Amino acid sequence: MKLSEALSIGQKAPQGGTSYPVLLACGFSPLHLQTFLRGHLQRVLPERTVEISTGLYGSLADTLEQLPAFSGEAVAVFIEWADLDPRLGYRSLGGWGSSSTSAEATLARLGNAIQSKPPSLRMVVSLPTLPLPPGFHTVSWQASAAELALESALAEFARKISLLPSVLVLNRQKLAPDAYDFRSDLNTGFPYSIKHTDLLAEAMAGLLTLPPPKKGLISDLDDTMWRGIVGEEGPDGVCWDLAGHAQMHGLYQQMLQALAGQGVLLAIASKNNAETAEKALQRPDFVLKRDKIFPAEIHWQPKSGSVARILKTWNIGADSVVFIDDSPMELEEVRAAHPGIECILFPKSDYPAAFAMLQKLRDLFGKPSLSEEDAFRLESIRNSQQFQEPVSGEQFLSSAEATITFEWNPPAEDTRILELVNKTNQFNLNGRRFTPAEWHQLTTAPGAFALAVSYQDKFGPLGKIAVVAGQETGSALNIEAWVMSCRAFSRRIEHQVLKQLFEKADRIQFAYQETPKNGPTKDFLKGESVLTRADFEAKCPPLYHRIENHHGQHRTALSESI
Amino acid sequence: MDNTEQRLVKVFETVFPDLTLDQIRAASQTTVATWDSVAAITLMNLMEEEFTIEIDFDRAAELASFSEILAYLRTL
Repeated sequence: MKLSEALSIGQKAPQGGTSYPVLLACGFSPLHLQTFLRGHLQRVLPERTVEISTGLYGSLADTLEQLPAFSGEAVAVFIEWADLDPRLGYRSLGGWGSSSTSAEATLARLGNAIQSKPPSLRMVVSLPTLPLPPGFHTVSWQASAAELALESALAEFARKISLLPSVLVLNRQKLAPDAYDFRSDLNTGFPYSIKHTDLLAEAMAGLLTLPPPKKGLISDLDDTMWRGIVGEEGPDGVCWDLAGHAQMHGLYQQMLQALAGQGVLLAIASKNNAETAEKALQRPDFVLKRDKIFPAEIHWQPKSGSVARILKTWNIGADSVVFIDDSPMELEEVRAAHPGIECILFPKSDYPAAFAMLQKLRDLFGKPSLSEEDAFRLESIRNSQQFQEPVSGEQFLSSAEATITFEWNPPAEDTRILELVNKTNQFNLNGRRFTPAEWHQLTTAPGAFALAVSYQDKFGPLGKIAVVAGQETGSALNIEAWVMSCRAFSRRIEHQVLKQLFEKADRIQFAYQETPKNGPTKDFLKGESVLTRADFEAKCPPLYHRIENHHGQHRTALSESI
Repeated sequence: MDNTEQRLVKVFETVFPDLTLDQIRAASQTTVATWDSVAAITLMNLMEEEFTIEIDFDRAAELASFSEILAYLRTL
């Protein structure tokens, strides 16, 4: 983006749209950074009016210490070395250099201010992007102990704040090497080059408006998972290592293994002889562990059908999935049958493109934090297959040894709650998405409540799989949000949720709204937006769950009454 | 209006979107209330971007009106 574009985008922001107030916190003159940040945010949020306010010049810590009084939606923090000690910048002449003690004291102050922010306020933090000044005793290609001590203090600070709720730390490796504009710093107090400002603002805007991560990846085998055609060269003839000039396929397997570790679902759609392909998948040197793949559709039928069956097994929509194949024709066939699916051509012999693909996969599946649910998502889907079997029926449900835990008014620090609300599509009352601030407002209003639901049975835990939020109004409950993970379908958890809610009220009103994807919710509610206890009890099927109730901290009318 | 003047007008339109063409041609730091220090720096950076030049900050004080800037650009 050019400076002129950034200015134009800001000037064309919609008038009267819902505002998106952001605090830009930096110790230097914000100048073009304000323009670029507004431009990039406005581009990502075209329906809203981005409003950027700035803090105090020369004192980042003072600005951050004012955060409890800030009523906006997000904070973008830009830290530079001079914020930790003016002797680490170019605009003061008090001598270069700094003791790590001095920088550590400032970092501690910044850390305390960040920790004191409201938990629901989203914050992104950019660590120093400019080089340290030349005032160290070593030659520039030797890192001095003083420089390393500063880096070490900074790394520890970053590690600590990255664990705080709603705080995201920008990865500095994404930025341009020619960041510093010496001329601009001395003449205007703005230290960044225009190119660096653009990249930095784009990255920070991207972090502030992160899209939901993809959930599953479907891969081809021949010339994708490995080099070669397994049907022609045999299970031992295909390769994925340096010796076979096929390292990019091994790295791809390694990337998939890493994704599996963060809870991404992996499946195969391959036109092959299943027995032959399976032998290659079972080779001991196969980098991706075979048990991380489920299901594997290996046959000669069209891949669009394979993808349809995989999506059904995973119970997620095509727009949550990435499909990778080395054949443009196969990609097109799948894309036409499953609009919304992200199709990526595996670059067989294009090294830069292969490197870019690995980076793209990280971005498509990246998420701010991992939850315990990510660790057993695949296993719970395997187990879910048993619940889908028609022969199972009542006997299977009654012998599942299921326990449902209801956590009333869970702590705001539990990021899984809002993650679930904002990424669930199928069992979702109205498809409404919430910012942390909006969620905080909804669940802390007078009479409001939030309910987090966890499930486990003899096959293992599913973790937190449902969230309900609403308000108590006399003898009725108004439900504003209700989501349930598709992994939890077919267990009658939704019935048990209603049963628990009807212990608090005689009548429930649902803020139901049909969306293109929430068919399961529509089927469950049968189009009714109001339900009475008598109606529910008349229609509720047998429930076999053991129930545990836990009560959280929020002081609301409902939590006090239960 | 030659090509240089047209491009300079475009730069001014970006920084001062409320000014008419005649007002832009007559613009100076004394006649345009929003021509403050931030606008001055933004104007300089936009001119650098538009004309692929680097302006000497020491000369910024001399570039206080549309006509002075246009004259400066024509010397390059």
